[in-house]
Amino acid sequence: MKKINTQKEYQEYVNKKSPNSPIFKNCLNAFLVGGLICVIGQFIMEFCKFRGLSTDLSSTITSVILIFLSAFLTSLNIFNKIGKFAGAGSLVPITGFANSIVSPSIEYKSEGYIMGVGAKMFTVAGPVLVYGISTSILVGIIYLIFNMQSMV
Amino acid sequence: MQKLGKQTIKFDNPISILETSSIVGPKESEGPLANFFDKCLDDEFWGEKTWEKAESKIIKETVNSSIIKSKLSVDQIDYCFAGDLLNQCISSSFGLRDLGIPFFGIFGACSTFVEALSLASVFIGSGSASNIIAATSSHFCSAEKQFRFPLELGNQRPPSSQWTVTGAGSAIVSKNRKRAIYN
Repeated sequence: MKKINTQKEYQEYVNKKSPNSPIFKNCLNAFLVGGLICVIGQFIMEFCKFRGLSTDLSSTITSVILIFLSAFLTSLNIFNKIGKFAGAGSLVPITGFANSIVSPSIEYKSEGYIMGVGAKMFTVAGPVLVYGISTSILVGIIYLIFNMQSMV
Repeated sequence: MQKLGKQTIKFDNPISILETSSIVGPKESEGPLANFFDKCLDDEFWGEKTWEKAESKIIKETVNSSIIKSKLSVDQIDYCFAGDLLNQCISSSFGLRDLGIPFFGIFGACSTFVEALSLASVFIGSGSASNIIAATSSHFCSAEKQFRFPLELGNQRPPSSQWTVTGAGSAIVSKNRKRAIYN
């Protein structure tokens, strides 16, 4: 066996030895479950429109219902099993975001409501919020600058 | 005692292990080593309300069982070297507080137990103690909570990801060679 001297060589050795994730199976599962979530969302939306609500209001209600379902399934210890099976399929839709806020709240409840639930609720979703909001502000400013130029 | 080379210590008298004890969680009890553990739990909480309290109870019961097996009384044990993965080593410091044995909290992650055994041996070899408890504990759920993600988070683990042991191990290190199980 070749002698391992540097950290890079060690990393290559580990990558060679460790089993790879079953990418095809994971992609298929993600496609099926992610698609199913979207179909449920579309169904809720069409139902709202059918009952005479505007498109804007229908999409808001769809988000609210999907967030509620995800939070509810998380608290029943079911969502993590779906997530284990589906991966990005349940993580990328709004359901994953709800799960990433509800799961630390459950986990850190044992440390109290203020310093536990209150302080640790955004440990997973926090970075997404910080950089998501920062980026949107940045994009907004750029849009404003370009628009001003076109106005002049 | 004498230091040989870079990291080897030669003891004047051999140090022995009087007794050992171990308690493990449900996943470990499904494995091939299950028969070697003293007790296998089927509930990760073991009747407690939090993962940390459960881990504390596991190390407490493990150390108690090793003391009972060794037939020593608590006052015959001079020190306790123990540690775990949690902040401020809470599970071992709270779990072993009631014993009233002077406690050294150590943190070496995976090496904690070997670290405890080495330190205990040096203590005994120097003549500062006769019997010392070396112990460690970890709990999958409390370690995930502290270092990784909440258990309810719906993420995928890669097939090569590791699984922190739920369980505790304890050994009584002694200068007494007559009753030793390991010399």
